[in-house]
Amino acid sequence: MAGRGGRALLALCGALAACGWLLGAEAQEPGAPAAGMRRRRRLQQEDGISFEYHRYPELREALVSVWLQCTAISRIYTVGRSFEGRELLVIELSDNPGVHEPGEPEFKYIGNMHGNEAVGRELLIFLAQYLCNEYQKGNETIVNLIHSTRIHIMPSLNPDGFEKAASQPGELKDWFVGRSNAQGIDLNRNFPDLDRIVYVNEKEGGPNNHLLKNMKKIVDQNTKLAPETKAVIHWIMDIPFVLSANLHGGDLVANYPYDETRSGSAHEYSSCPDDAIFKSLARAYSSFNPVMSDPSRPPCRKNDDDSSFVDGTTNGGAWYSVPGGMQDFNYLSSNCFEITVELSCEKFPPEETLKSFWEDNKNSLISYLQQIHRGVKGFVRDLQGNPIANATISVEGIEHDVTSAKDGDYWRLLVPGNYKLTASAPGYLAITKKVAVPYSPAVGVDFELESFSERKEEEKEELMEWWKMMSETLNF
Amino acid sequence: MGFLWTGTWILVLVLHVSPIQAFPKPGSSQDKSLHNRELSAERPLNEQIAEAEADKIKKTYPPENKPGESNYSFVDNLNLLKAITEKEKIEKDRQSIRSSPFDNKLNVEDVDSTKNRRLTDDYDSTKSGLDHKLQDDPDGLHQLDGTPLTAEDIVHKIATRIYEENDRGVFDKIVSKLLNLGLITESQAHTLEDEVAEVLQKLISQEANNYEQDPNKPTSRTENQAGKIPEKVSPMAAIQDGFTNGENDETVSNTLTLTNGLERRTKTYSEDNFEELQYFPNFYALLKSIDSEKEAKEKETLITIMKTLIDFVKMMVKYGTISPEEGVSYLENLDEMIALQTKNKLEKNATDNKSKLFPAPSEKSHEETDSTKEEAAKMEKEYGTLKDSTKDDNSNPGGKTDEPTGKTEAYLEAIRKNIEWLKKHDKKGNKEDYDLSKMRDFINQQTDAYVEKGILDKEEAKAIKRIYSSL
Repeated sequence: MAGRGGRALLALCGALAACGWLLGAEAQEPGAPAAGMRRRRRLQQEDGISFEYHRYPELREALVSVWLQCTAISRIYTVGRSFEGRELLVIELSDNPGVHEPGEPEFKYIGNMHGNEAVGRELLIFLAQYLCNEYQKGNETIVNLIHSTRIHIMPSLNPDGFEKAASQPGELKDWFVGRSNAQGIDLNRNFPDLDRIVYVNEKEGGPNNHLLKNMKKIVDQNTKLAPETKAVIHWIMDIPFVLSANLHGGDLVANYPYDETRSGSAHEYSSCPDDAIFKSLARAYSSFNPVMSDPSRPPCRKNDDDSSFVDGTTNGGAWYSVPGGMQDFNYLSSNCFEITVELSCEKFPPEETLKSFWEDNKNSLISYLQQIHRGVKGFVRDLQGNPIANATISVEGIEHDVTSAKDGDYWRLLVPGNYKLTASAPGYLAITKKVAVPYSPAVGVDFELESFSERKEEEKEELMEWWKMMSETLNF
Repeated sequence: MGFLWTGTWILVLVLHVSPIQAFPKPGSSQDKSLHNRELSAERPLNEQIAEAEADKIKKTYPPENKPGESNYSFVDNLNLLKAITEKEKIEKDRQSIRSSPFDNKLNVEDVDSTKNRRLTDDYDSTKSGLDHKLQDDPDGLHQLDGTPLTAEDIVHKIATRIYEENDRGVFDKIVSKLLNLGLITESQAHTLEDEVAEVLQKLISQEANNYEQDPNKPTSRTENQAGKIPEKVSPMAAIQDGFTNGENDETVSNTLTLTNGLERRTKTYSEDNFEELQYFPNFYALLKSIDSEKEAKEKETLITIMKTLIDFVKMMVKYGTISPEEGVSYLENLDEMIALQTKNKLEKNATDNKSKLFPAPSEKSHEETDSTKEEAAKMEKEYGTLKDSTKDDNSNPGGKTDEPTGKTEAYLEAIRKNIEWLKKHDKKGNKEDYDLSKMRDFINQQTDAYVEKGILDKEEAKAIKRIYSSL
């Protein structure tokens, strides 16, 4: 547009806006919330965090507010849309939002995948606000965390279900209404059941990681997958997540893989190859939540069987078998380790309790975030220093490998101990290194791999040397 | 030592066998010729196919006596149009019934043209005959009496389609296909556009003539046409008409919008002022709601504002700053916004707001050149008061003290915190201003991106940008 015209245009907009302001109202959103949850913004109870339920418009506003306050370290994006068209919003917090810095691990929190399990959704909104506030106050722990990690927070994977659940009149919400997505699909049973495949592979031989390699096409063509499920799968494929937690409600425990029992029975401890680190990760969450880790806490309901709970943690299969869950899908299809956290006995508790849930969980949420900086991490490169993506990093004694990301960077969570790590890639010679791993921080181990052709070149040169020597000696 | 020697010889032998660059390979050149042979065997086949196609095209193109117009450029592209018309044949079939009355009239007109179509002889004006004939033409490249189409006929066909569908998009579709396939150049596309526009113009004027003879349709405009056009489109046409008065550059769009927009006006308004404003139903309702006796002045002012805005937009279109469509959409949005604000206003204390409404607009002058500064200053004032009001919780312009202000307040608060932190964070004095303008640009960019992705809605984005620009 011509400069003058452009300014005139702005002026026009300004005039319109001025008219708007003068007419005395702020633009109301067309989809203003229904009678049930009138938008009451209470006076800020704590640093801009208002402890009340956020419907979809309020959720969006809350995230936008965080972004506006912390523009330098945050970014909002969407991984897709729910069945009814609501954006699956994610807020990312890092010192360079939108960018994967080589070597910087990626973390995600996902809440409210069951729409009526509402505490997780709210906690994640509070967390985003909290991280922003604390960063600006100069809280060292938070500043370091944000500078060294890329944190992705998705408050709600099932916004449609939440709207349904929240629209129920009265305080007492039904145990099931709003749990599934708008199509009636339980998202935490909707993921491809890779556990089954792995259990077969365990018996007959076969891999137990990065199953379904060429996933995008299969995923898109699978008609049984809900749009929310598909969105998450793409998300997992696109970003090299290292650690994750999936927030639920209805009980109080931190649950870790495998969720599905091997024999198919209802309860059976089903350990995965990384049982040790998972126990440690789950404990890192539960131990900071006084209620969750209270050994003398009675079960949520009188007849509940919590015999599998240990220190506020449980193996999934030992508690009850869950096929097609997101947690195991993460572990078996990607590098990401995910646990499931049940945050509240009541799935949709009264609004007044939200503040105390935040108090109980805020340290856990931060502590779990910090777990990403454990084990071993580094780069896999070739002899020229170029990154080798998709190299395999295997640990002796643990039947589960991880792979390097696009910049050759990898992260391998491990409990303290002595390990032998092997990095390998097709066309390259594998290298093994010994590592002593403390509790934290992560130990840096880089690999420089020599390719077969390079080795061949070396050998060839050696042979040429021999040939030369021979010919000189024998006068060829 | 002997063992080593043998080993070395074995290795040497191995090297001879394996493909290493150092040792010449007698077999490689042979491979190459084989490779080439394959390629050369393929190419003739492709060429053959191409030749066959070309022949087919030549055969379908009939030798005809052209009336010496400059449409030769399209004569070579019949094959492409064939493909296009095939696709559109399906739509045509669907629409054949609806459009046949028009077809009849068009055919009657053809008698006057110097073109080759001899349709009138073969037509009778009954629908069924027409349908039947249309459906029998599978590739759309023949006239209904079986003679192949000339280039002019194609132009005419396109024009007819556009007319029937009231959609310029048909033309755009066809032209973009032709351009993409490299079958026509840009200049040829322009020529085509002009020709189609001419034909369309003729069609429309013929229609106009026909309808003007009908006394039952009162008109308030000079060029008026009947149509099944919804009311919503009418402001567009009226304004468009104003915009394109006497401009013949964009003939196609002109004629199309004329076609689209003008409908019979059954209502006439007594006041002259309302001629254009009648196209803004919400604004008009707002005007009506103001009591004419008591607040005649306010009413006048409002009308003046609206007219000024409309003139403004018209001028921008005239100078080419924005396209007519954009101008229309601005005004349509304005009307919608007025509806929204009116609704909100009704929920508040009406008189207070009304008295506040008018002082500011009365400052507005008709001299658009100076208005930019005035507007900016006005905006600053507005935001100044708004900003102060957030700190002082007791008052704010809208007079709403009962309900705590909603999201815009929250955004304002958040932005304030951000700026504060930025200022604290880089304490270098000069850098402050610099960072702010950079931040402003960044925010503008990001808000737009967010709107596109559905993370922010347009209103919010505007609000955020305004807040930043007023800092």
